[in-house]
Amino acid sequence: MDELREILEGIHPEVDYDTETGLIDKRIFDSFDVITLVGELVDTFDVEITAEQMIPENFNSMEAIRNLIERLSDE
Amino acid sequence: MSLISVEFLFFCAFVLLLYYLVKDRYRWIVLLLSSLVFYCLAGPKYVLYLLFSATSVYTGARLIDRMNDTRDAYLSEHKDGLNREEKKAYKASVKKKQKRILFLCVLANVLVLFTLKYLDFGIAYFNYYRLLITGNTNLVPQPGLILPLGISFYTFQSLGYVIDVYYGKVKSERNYFRFLLFISFFPQVVQGPISRFSALQQELFSEKRFEMERITSGLYRILWGLFKKLIIADRLSSYVARSAAFRMDYKGPYLLLCIFFYAFQIYGDFSGGIDVAIGVAELFGIRLTENFERPFFSKSIAEYWRRWHITLGTWFRDYIFYPLSVNKGILNLGKWCKKHLGEAVGKRVPVYLPMIAVWALTGMWHGSESKFIVWGLLNCTFLILGTEFEPLSKRIMEKLSLREDMLIVKLYRIFKTFWLMAFLRVFDFVKTPKDGFYLMADVFKRWDSFDLNEIYTTLLLPKEELIVALIAIAVLAAVSTIQRKGSIRAKILTKNAWIQYAGLIGLAAVVLIFGSYGLGYDAQSFIYMKF
Repeated sequence: MDELREILEGIHPEVDYDTETGLIDKRIFDSFDVITLVGELVDTFDVEITAEQMIPENFNSMEAIRNLIERLSDE
Repeated sequence: MSLISVEFLFFCAFVLLLYYLVKDRYRWIVLLLSSLVFYCLAGPKYVLYLLFSATSVYTGARLIDRMNDTRDAYLSEHKDGLNREEKKAYKASVKKKQKRILFLCVLANVLVLFTLKYLDFGIAYFNYYRLLITGNTNLVPQPGLILPLGISFYTFQSLGYVIDVYYGKVKSERNYFRFLLFISFFPQVVQGPISRFSALQQELFSEKRFEMERITSGLYRILWGLFKKLIIADRLSSYVARSAAFRMDYKGPYLLLCIFFYAFQIYGDFSGGIDVAIGVAELFGIRLTENFERPFFSKSIAEYWRRWHITLGTWFRDYIFYPLSVNKGILNLGKWCKKHLGEAVGKRVPVYLPMIAVWALTGMWHGSESKFIVWGLLNCTFLILGTEFEPLSKRIMEKLSLREDMLIVKLYRIFKTFWLMAFLRVFDFVKTPKDGFYLMADVFKRWDSFDLNEIYTTLLLPKEELIVALIAIAVLAAVSTIQRKGSIRAKILTKNAWIQYAGLIGLAAVVLIFGSYGLGYDAQSFIYMKF
């Protein structure tokens, strides 16, 4: 899952992803960032992200994003 | 039956009495029957449209949900017999069937809405251009369709529900009549708010006890709504209508005042109506979703749209914007643009394209005339400009040693957002987009004189009326400012009962005395009702 960290750092290198839990709630990621992130996740992890997953809880932290990918990969 | 009428008052009182007299498990039935009666009073034949929407969406949602159950049962039964790929393929085939049902459901309801809302205008445009191009004077007759009460609201609410069932966010409702209540609940069927099933289901069907505090709170909310609607919105409507219709006769200052007044007219009208709806629902112990959050305090257009007609904004975000922006085709287009046109373009395409679609649809939702699409796209343009110029704005602020948390910066942004939004609103009350642009331009012309008597006489707002309107706007601004630190109603409800009732009687008296009535007065119908 180091690829996930690379993707996130590619979008916002200044964020400490080990501790940050409010990427969406604190508006650190705007709509451009979220959609860019979704595009990267789809490509890298071969998962299908649909509108139903587009809720802040799924994108607020690296941990949440990791859980989302794992969940989608299992499906 | 208007939400602002004596008939509605008696209707509510009767339903309320019945509601708390019957046993708890039958209360929702009282609400359903009263909602159907309320709807029938607007025209019995229009109930058929409501029933069509309810039946098609109910059936679609049940079918989708049953497929989920069958899928889960099949997968559990064949847990060890199927490998990962086979399970995936099976799930995909089920999803495909569900998608078809969802598509049919959405299509049927959108077609009904579209036909009722746009057919007459479509034919009018067709006739006009055919005459213009071919000179053919044989006009295709317009069927003269009338929009059933609240169709835009309940269609969106029911479609949101079936999409949520498809996404697996909510389980479908088994009882048809309970679902029918969800889309027909009388306080909200007129002009929203557009509720989500996950939120309203709990409110409608949970156990209720009669609580005097809720009744008092609901009454306060209703009276506050009437204050906004009757004292502000209805009082300003004549001025706005007159100055917009005869803009050539009026100089810049009067037209600027028209734009200023309309901002408060539309806010008083719509948010006042929502206050009444939320207040009435509260009498029954039902909490509806909030639709406004002091939008005139917004510091940017994006923030304004997060605080104005919130339930429509979140509907478009969840059911149009996200599905479009994470759609494979759009993501691939973004990647193609990134590769061929650079990162900056590639990043923007998957966000801006869905945004343009959302705003064109938002405009269309408000009405069939082209001015609404122009209004929607102008909003979108300013949102995009706001995003694009944000870095420049930050640099200017740094140069001027200004910070975002400074009062002067906040006030400037609130001022700028208010006026920009107020100017765009002119498309609501003009006939064509061209009229709207002319009106905006006329505001800046002929500033050589300003005579208050003009307002009192030809602009139909006598001196006393103007004073009441301005004081009411000031009260509204003051209340909104205080509300930033918490609900005023909640504070009043902590006082002893006598103070609570005295406040209630005082507010009722203010509405009765200063409401915009007159001989043979009939409350202006709500602007959003026609959407």
